[in-house]
Amino acid sequence: MTALSEFWSAAIIWRDPLVASVLAGALLGFLGVYVVLRRVVFVSAALTQLSTLGVIVALLVLERLDLETDHQEIQLFVAWIFSVGGGLVLGTLGWGKRLPTEAGVGMAYVLAGALVILGANRLVHVAHDLNTMVFGNAVAVPFQDVVILVVVTGLVALLHTLFRKEIVFSSFDRETAEAMGVKVRLWGGVLFFTIGLAIPVAAHVVGALPVFAFLTVPASAALLATRRLSPAFAVATVLGATAAGGGYVASWVLQLPTGATMVVAAGLLVLPAWLWKRLRG
Amino acid sequence: MTPLVRLDDASIGYGGRALLGGISVAVEPEDFLAIVGPNGGGKTTLLRTLLGVLPPLEGRRTAEGPLRVGYVPQRDHVDGLWPLSCGDVVVMGRVPLVGAGGRMGSGDLDAARRALGRVGLGDLWGRPFGTLSGGQRQRTLIARALAAEPRLLALDEPTNGMDPAAELSAMDLLRALHGAGGIAVVMISHRLEAVANVARRLAFVDKDQDLWKVGPLEEMLRPEALSRLYGREVIVREEGGRRFVYPVAGGGDP
Repeated sequence: MTALSEFWSAAIIWRDPLVASVLAGALLGFLGVYVVLRRVVFVSAALTQLSTLGVIVALLVLERLDLETDHQEIQLFVAWIFSVGGGLVLGTLGWGKRLPTEAGVGMAYVLAGALVILGANRLVHVAHDLNTMVFGNAVAVPFQDVVILVVVTGLVALLHTLFRKEIVFSSFDRETAEAMGVKVRLWGGVLFFTIGLAIPVAAHVVGALPVFAFLTVPASAALLATRRLSPAFAVATVLGATAAGGGYVASWVLQLPTGATMVVAAGLLVLPAWLWKRLRG
Repeated sequence: MTPLVRLDDASIGYGGRALLGGISVAVEPEDFLAIVGPNGGGKTTLLRTLLGVLPPLEGRRTAEGPLRVGYVPQRDHVDGLWPLSCGDVVVMGRVPLVGAGGRMGSGDLDAARRALGRVGLGDLWGRPFGTLSGGQRQRTLIARALAAEPRLLALDEPTNGMDPAAELSAMDLLRALHGAGGIAVVMISHRLEAVANVARRLAFVDKDQDLWKVGPLEEMLRPEALSRLYGREVIVREEGGRRFVYPVAGGGDP
């Protein structure tokens, strides 16, 4: 039996993980267009790290209260608090004229990373739970996670459909939007709320590294390949889904680590986009 | 006549730090007020306070109902990376009118097209914004402000970085738009000469000299008023129907 036919015969195992990965890739690919165009790529890295810190904090608190540590809904909830809170602070607040925004993002990233290491050091006995939440487990995604991802994707799609013009105007030219009475903090908050909402649930499925990759690479490829905003969103969404789905299948068939294979699959999509841009002139 | 917006004995600044105090100014409908001063002198802070973006630290700001503002930023403040057409940018001017969650209709697109036509770029609707020349970008940003059907058109250094011909062309456009009636213009410039031929009133702002002065153009162009702003002797000449402003070399400490 070939690896591919083995793959098809195991559909019952990979169906939910594949659906979840494709959804996560599509969702992050879409949001990534804002991340790249607003030049906040490293905000997404910091939020992923903060989301991981949320999981660690949840595990530490559960352990301190002598409760079961496998309450993944509690872990996800605390991760959301950290991720959404971090998104609202890093994405919408300035640091004044004394510090560039990147300094705040860098501090959040490195501090959250250090706290993750210190917290994980205290949680050796729940390393499996931790590993699942932090690095994802695309091989075994429970149906409940698919449902959560569908709900989050639906909510993000709804908010971005209803308030697209406000979010685009506030993101493209904050100064003018503000002067003309558009509530730029509100719409920036909505954008970073959706990014903060998507990161923990996607990280739970595909892991931290692919989350950062899907928030950056598909959007970059789409912006290379297209000249208008709506096609850029559509192409980034499709590329995110393709990289996640393609990477998942490739990792299964070739017996490779899933998250890393997804990231490489996303990276490979940049080449045709770049070539297309060169050919089109 | 009821002013569109006014500041009474206002202190302007941000982060709780006052830059300049005792500012009283009213912008009437059909006014053309130019705010002049050196870079970093507090012009933009004053404009943002007038528009209600920053609250006055002291004193009072009053504006007519919901004041419809069209705003034109410095063109290099707008990111050319975004894959937007000229039309996409102009349509953004309709966002405050459509309201949160509302849909843009054909009327909004028509208004945006008309605004782009008014600045002479009607045939560039589909052109990528990032590929426009500096002057075309500035006109597109003016069109976006006009698409908002503003009562007050506010511009921050609209001719900054332009060559003399493009600057003249932009100022002629502003004069024509203002002359067509229906809007007041408040414009920031660090170049007095750029506004000396179009504005009706001038305001001098320089926080470092604790300078705030506003008045009719003729009064403000008197050498004694100008020498306070520039810290040296200044000559104003009219040639060919246009005013030219010359700070005199060696006329005092700048």
